Amino acid sequence: MATLIPSIACLGVIGRNNNPLHIQIFPSYDPATNTYIPARTSLQFHLLLSSTLDVFDLRARRNAAAGVGLSGDFGLLHAVDDRLAAYGFETNTGTKFVAVVDMRGRRVDGGRAPGAGGIGVGGVGTGGGAGGGQVAAAAASSVGLREGEMKVVFKAMQTAYIKLLQNPFFDPDEHSPLTGSGGKKITSKKFAADMRRIGENWGPGMTVL
Amino acid sequence: MSASKASRLGEEIWKTRIEKVNAELVVLTYGTIVAQICKDFENDYTEVNKQLDKMGYNIGLRLIEDYLAKSNTMRRCSNFRETAEMIAKVGFKIFLNVTPTITNWTSDNKQFSLVFDENPLADFVELPDDGRAQDELWFSNILCGVLRGALEMVQMQVETHFISDVLRGNDTTEMRVTLVRYIDDELPPEDD
Repeated sequence: MATLIPSIACLGVIGRNNNPLHIQIFPSYDPATNTYIPARTSLQFHLLLSSTLDVFDLRARRNAAAGVGLSGDFGLLHAVDDRLAAYGFETNTGTKFVAVVDMRGRRVDGGRAPGAGGIGVGGVGTGGGAGGGQVAAAAASSVGLREGEMKVVFKAMQTAYIKLLQNPFFDPDEHSPLTGSGGKKITSKKFAADMRRIGENWGPGMTVL
Repeated sequence: MSASKASRLGEEIWKTRIEKVNAELVVLTYGTIVAQICKDFENDYTEVNKQLDKMGYNIGLRLIEDYLAKSNTMRRCSNFRETAEMIAKVGFKIFLNVTPTITNWTSDNKQFSLVFDENPLADFVELPDDGRAQDELWFSNILCGVLRGALEMVQMQVETHFISDVLRGNDTTEMRVTLVRYIDDELPPEDD
């Protein structure tokens, strides 16, 4: 029996001046054609990411007013429909990470997960062959995602972002439009590869990415 | 000195006589220097390589003294092979905590390669994507200069250059070291 489990549909990194730094879209499972295709168009994902900025802003103000710290995991920002939901994280420097999750983005067969469309589903779950079954069970038992489920994603994104910043040839000024020559997107291949790895491998219940 | 003895010596000095600094400080400082030189020379990478080599050379001239004191070396290496062992297993070990592999000797024992399994200077680095850096810049070229400078102070003229670098997408990071000649102790000009 095939079960549909949540997967990441889009990862976005947004700079402190709300400028897009990096956006990557991941295909999700389409039952009609039994293939993996993006759930929305690129433009729609861009709009979705833009719409989360207001939520970030509101939450940040509310947090500041309540005095509960400036940043960190913002949790669920925006539930778009019964399929897509956007989760967010903001660092102290104002860089925002957004993960758009497709609640039915990946197909898992009773036994083993398929590796369709270049998506590395094999790594999902807690252990080897039983992984697919466990994940399916976990998905069936809960609608949506548990609190803190996305933590591992943001942790991994932050690690990748830190690695990027450590590269001496990466100039943060170029990526900040209000000052200097800025406004560029991130072009690092390593960073893109890290994002791809995170987006393709993540599944509910994962503790390491 | 045999290879295993050299690596024991390097290990011991590293553990007992070396003051450690934060790796990120070194890595980020070096990275910034290279990036700045690239900017100053408007991405003329041939010139950048030269500058790095020159900086390394000046470091090497001084570093050798420190090396000799710490390693307590009281005698010369008997041949160039022994020199190679000492460079890889003692020199690199105590200053960078890496031990490059020595390979690809030529039959006349005058040329060898140092293959770096890890290169602390290049952590986090991704070369600029301008289509030239990948072919022209040797990011860790300072190491070539260091070796050249240090060996010159102990009467060895060598030629050093990198022939591959993982940063460029090669499988290994490899430096080629060639002994040009032993420099005879220069006598002061005779008074007539």
